[in-house]
Amino acid sequence: MAILCASTSTIFSSSERTSFGSLKKTIPSNQSSFLGFFPVAALSKPGSVLPTTLSFSKRDFRVCFQDLSLVPENQRWMFEESEADGPDIWNNTWYPKAKDHINTEKTWYIVDATDKILGRLASTIAVHIRGKNLATYTPSVDMGAFVIVVNAEKVAVSGKKRTQKLYRRHSGRPGGMKVETFNQLQQRIPERIIEHAVRGMLPKGRLGRALFNHLKVYKGPDHPHDAQKPIELPIRDKRVQKQR
Amino acid sequence: MNKKEILKLAKGFRGRAKNCIRIARERVEKALQYSYRDRRNKKRDMRSLWIQRINAGTRQHGVNYGNFMHGLMKENIQLNRKVLSEISMREPYSFKALVDISRNAFPGNKNVVLPTRKADISINV
Repeated sequence: MAILCASTSTIFSSSERTSFGSLKKTIPSNQSSFLGFFPVAALSKPGSVLPTTLSFSKRDFRVCFQDLSLVPENQRWMFEESEADGPDIWNNTWYPKAKDHINTEKTWYIVDATDKILGRLASTIAVHIRGKNLATYTPSVDMGAFVIVVNAEKVAVSGKKRTQKLYRRHSGRPGGMKVETFNQLQQRIPERIIEHAVRGMLPKGRLGRALFNHLKVYKGPDHPHDAQKPIELPIRDKRVQKQR
Repeated sequence: MNKKEILKLAKGFRGRAKNCIRIARERVEKALQYSYRDRRNKKRDMRSLWIQRINAGTRQHGVNYGNFMHGLMKENIQLNRKVLSEISMREPYSFKALVDISRNAFPGNKNVVLPTRKADISINV
């Protein structure tokens, strides 16, 4: 577990854990400048495999500063006594800096909406976009991932919602209420169904509106984001698939 | 406080509240009230943030926050939530060890304790 600060290594035995730095799957070489850990190529992790290895990507703990534990002697006068070994990470709650949430380095997920229950799918998507599945979650900062939804016209709902669920909007003028059923909206603009569902589950505010832009919904099975190499969205809800 | 002190405290306020003493006085009073209240709220908010982070970290291992803390209490591990959240971010392997300890101590509601097994569990504890 190659974490930068020398102080952390004294807490648990460091010698065993430096060899565990190998769990990281892909470490692009151009980013290791401020990561500071040892990119070991071997991927052997003995014993139990963690359920979501993605959570152990370097992004989650790209939290540290540059290694100041070795402050040179002639510069020690600049630091207070308590900070001479580097900033205190165990008594201060971590807050992400700009380099911890760069948009171009976030994970991209893809999910196929075919025969998935609308609300359950939207809930999982919203959790991933918000970043609540990460240990580095911060409410004021966008730490979440991007999510691509394909086959949006095939999303399923249970019961009689297909004909009875109403989508309303108001133009602002008197008598300007427009009402549509699920079916009609699905014929017209199928992406809007999933967008409406996810938008209701994201926070309302400036940050929520910015998070909503991280959701990309498409009608067919194709999407233009192959360059981002999206991975499969892990859904833990057991009842998300519509029972036939 | 005289006007100079108030206007000094009103730096960064919006509009006339940073310039004109009558408006600035009101806003500064309110700001000081808020800061008094928020010094107490900050402790609550921080703890809530730690709990959210621990929850996210443990759910990655399939255990939710409530069961995790219950297991830690059973094992008499007295790490506080601040430290646990920092461990979950910076030391994932140590955190996984803690989750395993908790899971052994308290497997969760799925393994419902049958009446016949209560004697065994009490012996272990």
